[in-house]
Amino acid sequence: MGTKNTALALLIPLIALTSWYGVSATGLVPVYLLPHPATVGEAGLRYIFGATGQGPYAGRFLGDLGASLIRVLLGFSLAAALGIPLGILSGRLALVNRLVASAIGGLRAVPGICWLPLAMIWFGIGIKTTVFLVAMAAFFPIYQNALTGAQLVAPIYYQAGAMLGVSRLRGVFAILLPMAMPNIITGLRLGMGISWAYLVLGELTGVPNGLGAVIMDARMLGQTDMILVGIILIAVIGRGCDRLLLFMMRLCFKSARRQV
Amino acid sequence: MRPMEQGLPAGEPAHREPILDVVGISQCFVHNGAAAAVLDHLTLRLFKGELVCLIGRSGCGKSTLLKIVAGFLAPTQGHCLLAGQTITRPGPDRCVVFQEDALFPWLTVRENIAFGLSGWKMSAQAQALEVDRYLDLVGLQGYGDYLPRALSGGMKQRVALARVLILSPAILLMDEPFGALDAQTRDDMQDLLLDLARERRQTILFVTHDVQEAVTIADRVLMMDREAGGIGEELQIELDRPRNRTSEPFQMYCAQLHQWLRK
Repeated sequence: MGTKNTALALLIPLIALTSWYGVSATGLVPVYLLPHPATVGEAGLRYIFGATGQGPYAGRFLGDLGASLIRVLLGFSLAAALGIPLGILSGRLALVNRLVASAIGGLRAVPGICWLPLAMIWFGIGIKTTVFLVAMAAFFPIYQNALTGAQLVAPIYYQAGAMLGVSRLRGVFAILLPMAMPNIITGLRLGMGISWAYLVLGELTGVPNGLGAVIMDARMLGQTDMILVGIILIAVIGRGCDRLLLFMMRLCFKSARRQV
Repeated sequence: MRPMEQGLPAGEPAHREPILDVVGISQCFVHNGAAAAVLDHLTLRLFKGELVCLIGRSGCGKSTLLKIVAGFLAPTQGHCLLAGQTITRPGPDRCVVFQEDALFPWLTVRENIAFGLSGWKMSAQAQALEVDRYLDLVGLQGYGDYLPRALSGGMKQRVALARVLILSPAILLMDEPFGALDAQTRDDMQDLLLDLARERRQTILFVTHDVQEAVTIADRVLMMDREAGGIGEELQIELDRPRNRTSEPFQMYCAQLHQWLRK
């Protein structure tokens, strides 16, 4: 990553920020709709670095981040642990695919938000509901991409493996998974992205902590600046999680390092 | 039913050791609800160290026969014996070099070549030495750490050759391996293959649709024919090696094969 790339990556955020400054400077938009960037910046700094007691949200960031991260990671891990094996199996075995395709396709057609009322009845308000919603939402892209990845492996690679002495079972790990790795990673990245979306949905239900909870709380108190702080933080953290996921996959798997 | 002797070359010397026996193979595919036979009681024998080319128009069943010998496809009828053992599934004693690139894209050249050795009881050091030796053999010194996508088509086929030769297969099966290469690279690869084959007394069953290639490589050319349901004609190429692709006798063999192909 050269400085040139970093500059390029920051270009669009900088343009957005500059336009925001410009709009705020004209005074045409009331501050309860769009607060001045400096106000939002101060609120953000107070939220992250402030001592407890300096304001309603001061110093809460680490606690909220921890709560949200745990919910995302639990839900996402659950989705990956189910989605990858089931996707690979469906992609390789027509029988499994026929068995689960319509059930999974049907469930996928249900918008994630429809699960919220049911989840609240089943799990109550709290971590379980959020984890359930995150897992539900992240499962489909992970499953679908693993399935596509497994289907895309040309038979010639299994033939090559078989003639080189690879048994069918070892072929799953020696050939199938590495070949499908680019698709599996796409699924995981999409799943991770949607996990953050459903995290906020899950936290809108009245849990006391979490980044989504802060946004909802700020809306009730009419603190637009804190809503924007929450949005920006989720964007930054979501992007960070995506990079971290990619980094970890590349660190752990040769097939990820060399193909993605 | 065709006689067993059909696949045998005329005047076969007594000391030659048979290595592959294809015995009464039939292969039917269901097409539009009707069974169509591609191979009909085909019988064929290959001897140790022999270079045999299968030639024929597309759809004549030459690739099908290769797949059956490789163990990728079970014949509708008949069976194949390799050194007396019935072939039931793919294995390292019958390695294939495919036309298309079938290298593992996430493995380096070295790792691709070492792939078949992974189940062997062999120290990492011995394995590295062996891989080095085969890199040299196919002329890829210095390319060991490249990924396949960084290689040209010819170099990929060199890797494909090395990764199967390292297993010392009893028979090498080649399915139009140089068909996608440019003319000069194809000639180079043919020369490389012939050098390696002579050094190792490697038996090769080589599928091609290129008459020149067949005459360059083969001790014996088998012309496959859909109508005959198998081998239509057979031609011994009695030319000294290395063969001169521009010599008159070479061209006459080519002309003969061309004539059969056009029939």
